[in-house]
Amino acid sequence: MLDAVILEKAGIPAIPVITDAFGSTGREMADLWGVPGFRFVMMPHPLASLNPETVERRADELVDKVLQLLQEGQPS
Amino acid sequence: MSRSAAPRKEARVPADFPEQVEFCYAQGWTDGLPVVPATRELVDDMLEAGGCRAEDLIANMPSRKVAVTAEKVAINAVMAGCRPEYMPVVAAAVKGLATPAYGLHHVASALSGPTIVIVVNGPIAKRLGINATNNVFGGGERANATIGRALHLVLLNCLRYRPGVSDRATFGTPGKMTCCIAENEEDHPWEPWHVEKGCRPDESTVTLVAASTMIQVWNYGNHEQLLAAVGDALSYLGSIALLGRTPGAIVLAGEHAELLRASGWSKKQVRDFIAQQTARSIADLKRTGRLDGAIVPADRTASHYAIDTPHDLMLVCAGSPIGALSMVLPGFGSSKTAGRSPVIRIEGPGAA
Repeated sequence: MLDAVILEKAGIPAIPVITDAFGSTGREMADLWGVPGFRFVMMPHPLASLNPETVERRADELVDKVLQLLQEGQPS
Repeated sequence: MSRSAAPRKEARVPADFPEQVEFCYAQGWTDGLPVVPATRELVDDMLEAGGCRAEDLIANMPSRKVAVTAEKVAINAVMAGCRPEYMPVVAAAVKGLATPAYGLHHVASALSGPTIVIVVNGPIAKRLGINATNNVFGGGERANATIGRALHLVLLNCLRYRPGVSDRATFGTPGKMTCCIAENEEDHPWEPWHVEKGCRPDESTVTLVAASTMIQVWNYGNHEQLLAAVGDALSYLGSIALLGRTPGAIVLAGEHAELLRASGWSKKQVRDFIAQQTARSIADLKRTGRLDGAIVPADRTASHYAIDTPHDLMLVCAGSPIGALSMVLPGFGSSKTAGRSPVIRIEGPGAA
């Protein structure tokens, strides 16, 4: 989350992807950095226990949403 | 009162002590235990004892958008129950958190949230009564209990690591309330930790170590047998540090320190030997899901070493003079430096 906030502040479009267990943590980090409306994509927790094929499938499911948000951009 | 409640913007501070304590709870400023209300007078005493001004910058934490001033540290030290003369140690520990290599955000926010162990070296430890011997990780000494607690209150109140919000530890550890020890420099086979790291014996220092867990090693064998058991504890198959090979720390109590002194082995010999004892077969890693893939015959003879940079392994002495016990603190995280601060020199009155 923090990496994406820093990239955006540097002018590089970024949409973080986090698991839904960390939604409140992500929002807290965005608040801390003064971008409370920072947009991110959530997916079901956990991630670490998934095998490579499931991670690939997960990425396929999320890519359209990530691209859409990248094109829309973060709120200014 | 939710433990994650945000501080209220407007609140009238009550006049009497019990209500002040309750007020601090209501603001979300405590770790669950009562705190000492930080009056102006007590905070000023703390600053004076620390030889610092309120506005002095102790640490800058860009990832948390916070500059921690001496006044903020002093307020939390008062709340933790510190005596004023502990202030230089608390301030040094906060500086340790801020060193980039320490990786504070990972340490403070991870699901596998570790204990942050404060290790104090040098003459200040004895002067302040920081325990280095019996029950060193337990309770009983004000300095140990309150210095460690002050650091955690800084994490909570200054850096806003709130349980369940930004501190996402699945279990946490009792040591996340407080954990501070001094090294027993008198009952030691080698030079103390801070001297090994280039400090003078009469300098005082703080080092932070993030310990994913604490494992007591009970062993009445010879020195090689002891160190084999230590290596086993550093490389258990569930260890979070197993694959990242994050170096941990070994705390040797009196009987084991004496055994190693009698062996004549140097610190380097001890470290190298321990590292050799941290081998786990690839078959074991696959059997327990630490590595993917089916076990093939070659996996039974191929090894992964949990410690591959033995010079990074922290060896310190502390604990009771009796008991054939050592405490193994497996590291935390996925990099060589995660969770280990440099040796931070303590500055201010009483430091040397």
